[in-house]
Amino acid sequence: MTIRKGPSQIIFNIVSYTLLALMSIICVIPFVMILSGSFTDNHTILTEGYSLLPRDFSVEAYKTVFKAPEDILQAYKMTFFYTGLGTFLGLIMITLTAYVISRKEFKYRNTVSFIIYFTSIFGGGTIPWYLMYSQVLNAKGTTFAIWFPALMSPFLVILMRTFIMGSVPDAITESAKIDGAGHVTIFLRIVMPVLGPGLATIGLFLALGYWNDWYRSSMFSTDSSTWELQFYLYDLLNASTAIKQMSQNSSISTAELPTQSVKLAMAVVSTGPVLLFYPFVQKYFVSGITVGAVKG
Amino acid sequence: MKKEMKKEKKGSFLDVLSDDYKGKKLGIWIGFIISILNIVMFLPFIKWVGIVNADALYSKIRTSSANIEILRSGYNAFDLLHFVQYSGFGAIGLPAMLLLLFAVATLYFQIANVVKVLRNSKGRKGNLALYSAGEGAMGFEVALTLSMIAYVAFSNARFEMKGFSLSPVVIIALIISFVGLVAVKIPQSKERAFYHDNGLLKEIRKNWVLFLMLVPTFFYFLINNYLPMAGIYYAFTNFNFRDGLWASPFVGFANFEYLVKAQLWMLTRNTVLYNIVFIFLGNALQIIFAIFVSQVAVKWYKKTTQTLMFMPYFVSYVILKVIVYNIFEYQYGVINTFVVALGGNRIDFYNTPSYWPFLITFFAIWKGIGYGMVVYLATIMGIDAELYDAAKVDGANVFQQIRFITLPQLKPTFIILLLYALGGIMKGQFELFYQMVGNNGVLYNVTDILDTYVYRVAMTQPTSIGLGTAAGLYQSVFGFILIVGTNWIVKRRNEEYALF
Repeated sequence: MTIRKGPSQIIFNIVSYTLLALMSIICVIPFVMILSGSFTDNHTILTEGYSLLPRDFSVEAYKTVFKAPEDILQAYKMTFFYTGLGTFLGLIMITLTAYVISRKEFKYRNTVSFIIYFTSIFGGGTIPWYLMYSQVLNAKGTTFAIWFPALMSPFLVILMRTFIMGSVPDAITESAKIDGAGHVTIFLRIVMPVLGPGLATIGLFLALGYWNDWYRSSMFSTDSSTWELQFYLYDLLNASTAIKQMSQNSSISTAELPTQSVKLAMAVVSTGPVLLFYPFVQKYFVSGITVGAVKG
Repeated sequence: MKKEMKKEKKGSFLDVLSDDYKGKKLGIWIGFIISILNIVMFLPFIKWVGIVNADALYSKIRTSSANIEILRSGYNAFDLLHFVQYSGFGAIGLPAMLLLLFAVATLYFQIANVVKVLRNSKGRKGNLALYSAGEGAMGFEVALTLSMIAYVAFSNARFEMKGFSLSPVVIIALIISFVGLVAVKIPQSKERAFYHDNGLLKEIRKNWVLFLMLVPTFFYFLINNYLPMAGIYYAFTNFNFRDGLWASPFVGFANFEYLVKAQLWMLTRNTVLYNIVFIFLGNALQIIFAIFVSQVAVKWYKKTTQTLMFMPYFVSYVILKVIVYNIFEYQYGVINTFVVALGGNRIDFYNTPSYWPFLITFFAIWKGIGYGMVVYLATIMGIDAELYDAAKVDGANVFQQIRFITLPQLKPTFIILLLYALGGIMKGQFELFYQMVGNNGVLYNVTDILDTYVYRVAMTQPTSIGLGTAAGLYQSVFGFILIVGTNWIVKRRNEEYALF
């Protein structure tokens, strides 16, 4: 940049660089606290409290977490299953739907779009939805109730349609049709090969949603074998609060239960993969939000 | 040319329906007249269902004698629910509710047909728009009357006696509507052939691959969104798991009355106020930081700060719970550790409601700033660079550039986001509130929103399911009105930004 910097630019830069740094720190520091807390000796937490930097470095919490890893591994396994299956099926359904409503020759494309969009402005509410799965479909305790409800969303369908319309010009599909190509050929040979970024973006939105979900386990799981990872963590947090209260009530020393640092170690273990991948996949989320922002 | 084609095909006596009469085809006028007749049949004093063997029926439903007085001897299309309400008999309530919605839709289609024919609102393709209106009106009337017949049979079967009788009005409506349907369909098929327009069945045959592609999606939205809408009915019942989905007693608006008396005002106030603060403070900060990021010239600094601010968006709300606990816990929390180190007294955050509006707002903004920033950054990147160059040539400093170029260019995005956020003002951020507050009743007065209330009812109070459904319905209906209203405003301002 060869622009001459006036005094106002310098003032602006000082303010903006400082505030950006400050905001970034505010956004990151809670994660640092969790990480350092998970490496702090539990006894130190109990006597001196949590702190920003680890004191009395200890990996005891992680040892405790992995001492009986069956539950965590089960939750991990289930979460991988939900994320994999849900993202795969959801991606197929969303892409097919988006393809259909992006076809100009499809007479009912506005009707179909509206039927999908309408679900985001009106619904029966949480309880009828819950009764649908628990009473009508009798799906309580099954894995179906956990992966099925999040397969699609109007936002993602519309986003995918925007991707398709942006990456496949009408002229190409028109000429393919003149050459005798059917919808299956157009979809597989022309649309899919150029849809890479769109698929990655939508797939990542779906996968993130599945990975971070705890709500459907809290609603539909009847025992810990179907728990999602985040719900496992949630339960651990609450249970250890309960343990603490119990030990207080019965005046047993809390020091014998390494509950505090274990909670933090568990938080690290459950979020680790997301934050590890995050820097590499961030750009897909940015492109998705940018494409989505173009249309309202 | 068009006229000639019609004349050639003349032969059967039904073809007379395709003849012009006062500028429209005869079939359209027949549909028009039948729609008017149908509207007449919806008038309140015309009974669709009568009650026979009243004494036996009333003894069967074991309702109080005061209620029997209220139960009338017959019902029009709209007050079937009266019977369900005063008899308290739930088993026929859900179909009655669906029938009521169906009747409202049918009446709407009759009126739409009459209005369209009178205003002669033709589309691009001749009379096809009028035929569709007539088809819809007649089709709905036929379906409604058939459902009414099925409903009476179903009710009698439920009570195991002949308690309800069908009025001849229903049969007449069924017959004339069917005639009307035929009268509209015959000229319609000719007009369709002329304009090469396909009906639904023909369209399916032609584009069956596209329809096949939609099948999974259709089932998904049916199961996940549309069928649960029928569950709105439970807002009007005293739902209990013993009587189940079909037989829970119908209580009318009692749930809503109870909610209004109890906590509905508090829940609405909390939901709306939090949302207003989130919207304005959140958007203001997102805009400010988007401008900051866009002005940073050092590439790594730009990238790093953006990445770090986007990070909270990616973690689950359970992690947020850990974070909040970690910082604000009474015994071990970071703040209290710090306060004690300075010689102060511990602050009991979890038992002091007054802190929580600020904490919740802080973390709502914390979690959303990265996402919103990207939205605004996309708009800033789209601003024509020449505008800035011209401003620089004119000697505008950076503040003036922001004031006179960036902010005015961001205004449309901001207004649209704002209006849609205001449309969603009844929807709370459930996960945020639930994970931060949990089941800590001390804080409910300032932290309970409609969504957390409904969730708690669903999870912990099986006897109040009806109440929770009522609160959810209230939220859905008001949210819907707000969204449609704001969309209307957006549409008037700028057609392009309207969502539907």
